[in-house]
This record gives sequence, structure tokens and C-alpha cells, in this order.
Amino acid sequence: MKGWLKAGTALGRLRRTKSQDDAQQIVVEGRRKANGGRSRVFITMAVFFGIYATITGRLVYLGMQEPETGQFFGGGRMAASRPDILDRNGQVLATDIKSASLFAEPRRIVDPDEAVELLSTVLPSLDYEQTYRKLTSGSGFAWLKREITPRQQNEIMQLGIPGIGFRPEKRRFYPGGPTASHILGLVNIDNEGIAGMEKYVDGQGLADLRATGLVSASSLAPVKLSIDLRVQHIVRDEIASAMERYHAIAAGAVVLDVNTGEIMAMASVPDFDPNNPFNAHEKDRLNRMSAGVYEMGSTVKSFTTAMVLDAGKATLNSSYDASRPLSMGRFTIRDFHGKGRVLTVPEVFIYSSNIASARMAMDVGIAGHRDFLKRLGLLDRMQTELPEVASPTEPKEWKQLNSITISFGHGFATTPLQTAVAAAALMNGGKLIPPTFLPRTQEEADQVAVQVLNPRTTMDMRYLYRLNAEKGSGKRAEVPGYRVGGKTGTAEKVVNGRYAKDKRFNAFLAAFPIENPQYVVLSVIDEPKPEKPGMGATAGSNAAPIVANIIRRAAPLLGVKPEFGHESGALLVSN
Amino acid sequence: MFRTTDIVLIAVMVSAAAFTYQTKHAAEDELRALRRLESQIRFEEETADLLRADWSLLTQPARLQALVTTYQAELNLQPIDARQIADPSAIPMPAVDLDDPAQAPPDGLAASGTDATITGSTPR
Repeated sequence: MKGWLKAGTALGRLRRTKSQDDAQQIVVEGRRKANGGRSRVFITMAVFFGIYATITGRLVYLGMQEPETGQFFGGGRMAASRPDILDRNGQVLATDIKSASLFAEPRRIVDPDEAVELLSTVLPSLDYEQTYRKLTSGSGFAWLKREITPRQQNEIMQLGIPGIGFRPEKRRFYPGGPTASHILGLVNIDNEGIAGMEKYVDGQGLADLRATGLVSASSLAPVKLSIDLRVQHIVRDEIASAMERYHAIAAGAVVLDVNTGEIMAMASVPDFDPNNPFNAHEKDRLNRMSAGVYEMGSTVKSFTTAMVLDAGKATLNSSYDASRPLSMGRFTIRDFHGKGRVLTVPEVFIYSSNIASARMAMDVGIAGHRDFLKRLGLLDRMQTELPEVASPTEPKEWKQLNSITISFGHGFATTPLQTAVAAAALMNGGKLIPPTFLPRTQEEADQVAVQVLNPRTTMDMRYLYRLNAEKGSGKRAEVPGYRVGGKTGTAEKVVNGRYAKDKRFNAFLAAFPIENPQYVVLSVIDEPKPEKPGMGATAGSNAAPIVANIIRRAAPLLGVKPEFGHESGALLVSN
Repeated sequence: MFRTTDIVLIAVMVSAAAFTYQTKHAAEDELRALRRLESQIRFEEETADLLRADWSLLTQPARLQALVTTYQAELNLQPIDARQIADPSAIPMPAVDLDDPAQAPPDGLAASGTDATITGSTPR
């Protein structure tokens, strides 16, 4: 730089000014250049620092995040999970079990003969020829058998056949088989509920959740039912043996908690095995308790009597003339066990007088009669969790004759389950509580309960039920220690538009322990024949013993304490 | 020409790379262990489910009833009768046999022989 300045001086003074300016300009430029180069490095460094800082920040951010659980496509391709269904004591009623399906890759099979030979040692039901054809087809994939048990899977694995594999699948399993089939219902091959409580569970949002893929097996809380498996078994066992004993075409029973409306057990035979529901859709296997409507016969007299007592038109000391048949147009109302005299209200009840019941209905009037049954929910479709619920039928227009026949249980049809629910209202102090298949506490029940009767009527009805079991048609429902009260109903069935004398639908509606009823038990039996020729086939001789057997076996499980000091409790109340 | 800063930076870089590799390796190991544990848990859960179903199958009232009926001759079981069920309060108090203080042995020594109270578990 010095030499350069000297040269500038040597060039002469004349040009000095200019050259000096130039030199200064160059120096300035050089300094600027030098400075500019350094800042460029800084900028580059800043950019790289920026990039690395971003990466670091991002890493820290990702490190802070909750680790996402890896979900594999295909892991959820197994049939969808369903929650377990438990009974009120936590016993498993329905569960998912993992099973495996057996497939083959025929291209990789070395010796088809040997493979079939070995497989049939584990799976004896395997079709030999068909399997052989599949294995020799040379295709890439072939199902051999769906849903084999874990044990079979293990045995096949032990065989070590090449080209054979398993695909895991979920299967719904009902350990109780047909025990609670009508309550639990069914699932289809895709594990979707198509009947019973299974369908209800799907309707509660499970189906939507599943559609969005949010369902995994561990996230589903089990669904607890109000059913007690032990009582359920007793009920089914008793009706199944009764159906056989009385040569009936069907039978059913329900045990209902009168204070909470919980259904403790409900069964209807013939039924089906939900593990193998090949016959579930046959017409005679429907759930008769809630999906069948019947003319309930004389059990309805409970409601007629309660109606007249509740309306204040009569007391237990009132009397009705049943000395002569009642003529109504071209119809005549007669009694089956006619006494031919004036009967008091308790006598009307225990002799099951049609004439006197008709007179009770006439006392209340047609509108009052219909209102009362409506109030007890006997004329409307019942609201409960179970999807299979039938709608009751009633005359389009209530005339005097309709009211009279309905007073003794003919001319309108309702489901046995809602008859039991209405009867619970007669027993529990007049509260109508919608039935439920889910656990319900007393407080929850009180919230949904509707007061439909005067509590005083309940006391009278308890007395009448007890009296009927001690002196009337319900003698065979007696269970020592448990104070059963009840009303029989023997209804003639309509065949080809006429009432058939030899085809009956019998019912027995009972409550126990009668001084403060805890449970209502209703049994029905369709077209029973005499147990042995010469014996009767009325409700007292077949429906009542079913109830007695159920109570005898189930009462200790239901927590009802036997007492023997109350044998004539009902008679004391009467005076 | 290496200056001290460069050497330091290179050393930092190398150690950072080593640390990263180490961490990645450890994380992979952890993940592998996690996956193994998860599949083990899944297997145990499935086994538990299966056992629960099995238990429920074995304790089905219908099955127990069938077994009792089959082995009635050996078991000799009877349905419980309502008269066999009672509260402790319903059982009358047993008659208490108080010892006569006059015949009690002196100085709190035990009497020879047996008490008048007979318990059910000591037949003589």
C-alpha cells in the first residue's frame, strides 16, 4: 500500500488531487469489502444457527409430546370388540374370546396328503376331499376352518405343517348357553348386536364409536345387568321342566323386584343357544315374556279388584251379586266355580267370579276402567332396554261388553312382563316403576316411579293375594316360610276366532313375602295338558307350582329370610 | 492450520455424534423391550379373559346342577330347606351352667375333672 502511494506522488502534482481522491476511494472500498466479507460469514453462521435452533426446538417439542401408541393397520381388522356383559354379582354372561381361523397357502404346501392326514387328527370334522382339493389348487390362499379353539390351534402348531397359518379372530361367547338367551340376545358374524341387550349396548353409542375406529378391547367397561345368574338358571330350569311335565308348547316366567323395577330373572322356553343360534329366528322361539301378547285371563281380576277398591266404589266388606249369570246382549257371563250367591270382595277374588268382576267394572264405568288400565301401563308399549317388546292390543272402541270381558281378562292382550310390572305397583304401595334390565338403586327407582294407586289399596291387595294362596286357587303356590300370595289365571285361547275349550293359556301372578312384598313372580304356560290323565290343567295345577318351585329355590338367593310365625298373617289383617 | 477452537469444536461434534448414536441405540433397545412387554401384557390379558370365560363356564349353575344330579349317590346333597335358614338372633341362648362359687377350688386353681359345660367338639 505504501509503494502504491509513492507511485501516486511520482506521477506529479498536477494529477495529485485526482489520484489522491482515487486512492482514498480505493482504500475506502477495500475496507468496505473487508468489513462486508466478515458480515457475510456472520450472516451464514446466523442462518445455520437458526436452522439448528429450529431443529433442536422441534426435537425438544417432540420429546415433550405424549408418545403416541403405534396403531398398525390390520391390527384392528379383527372382528370388533364388544364389552363383556356381567350379571349383578359380576358373573360373566357374555364375553369376547379370541379364536383363530386356519388358513393354508397351497403353493407352499409340500405334501398335501400328509397335511390333510395330520390336520384331520386334530380336526375330525374336516372335509377330507374338499380340503385336499384346496391344498392342491396351487392358489395363494385358502381358508380351511374358521374359529378353531386355542387348544386346536396349539395342536396344529405342534404338527409343524409348512404352509399352514392362523389368523386371530374374536368371537362372542356365552358361557351360560341358553340360560339367559332371550335377555342377552345375539350378535352377528361381524360382532354387532342384533337382538336383546347386545343390541341395546350397540344402540348406546358403541356402533358409532366403532364406525370411527375408536374402540379397542381394553377401553370398554363391562356392562352389568340386573339379572342374577343363579336365579335366572332356576327360573329357566323350572319352566323347562314344567313345559315337559305338562306337555305344553311354551312356558315362561319372570322375577321382578317390586321396589326398584329390576328384573332379576326372565326366561321363556323354547329358547335357543346364542353360541349356536341356528334356530333363533324360528317363530315359536320368541321371547314370550316381553315380545308375545296374550289374554292374561283371571290374573287381570287383580287389577279389576284393585280398580274398584282404589276408586272407592267398594271396600273389602262390600258384596256383589253373583247368584245369576249376567246377560249382555247375546252374551251371557258365567262363573266356572259358581257359588250361586252374593259374594263379598274377598270371595269374589278367591272364587275368581266372572260375574262379580263384571259388576265391578260396571260400577267404575267404561272410561274409568280404560283409564285405570292405561294408568297401570297395561295398554301401552312398555318402555325398557330390551328391543323385543310387543305392543298390547285393545278394542278400537270400548263398549260395555268390552269392559266386562276385559274385567276378567278377555278381549285385550298384553305382555306377561308388563302384567308383572303392573302387579308390582299393586304390591309396592302403588308406585308404577318401569322395568329395567340394568342395576338400579332405590333412589333412582323413586325418581322414575309414578304413584298410580292409593297405598291403602296395596294393603287390601296384599291381603287378597295371601288369602287366595291360603284358601283359593293358589294353594299349590305355598312355600313354607316365604308367605306367597298370588292369583291364578286360566284363559281359553282363541282358535279360528272362537274360544277353544281345550286350549288354555295359564298364568300365576305371585308376590312374596306378602306382608311386605319384595319380589313379584309371574309364570305363564301355554297350552298345558294334564300332568297325568284325569288331573286338571288349570293354572292352579301347573302355573302355581312353577312359581312355588322358583320361590323355594330362589328366595334364599334373593335375600328373603324365611319366617314361620306368619302362617296366618293375612287372616289377622282382615279383622 | 488447526487452532484450539477448531479442535475443541471437532471434539464437541464427535462427542455429540457419539451421544446421539448412543441415545438412539438405547431408545431402540427400550422400544424393543416395551414392545415385548406390550405383547406379553396382551397375551396375559387374553389368557385372563379366556380363564374368566372358562371359570364362568365351570361355575354355571346349570353345570353344577347336572354334576350334583350325576353324583347324587356319592355327594348325598339335598336342596336347602327354608327351616334350615336362621339368623344368629333367632337361635335361643344356650343354658349357661354356672359353677357354684362355694365349691370353687382355692387360690384360683383349676378344678380336677371336667367342667359341667360340655362343648360339642370334645366327645368323651
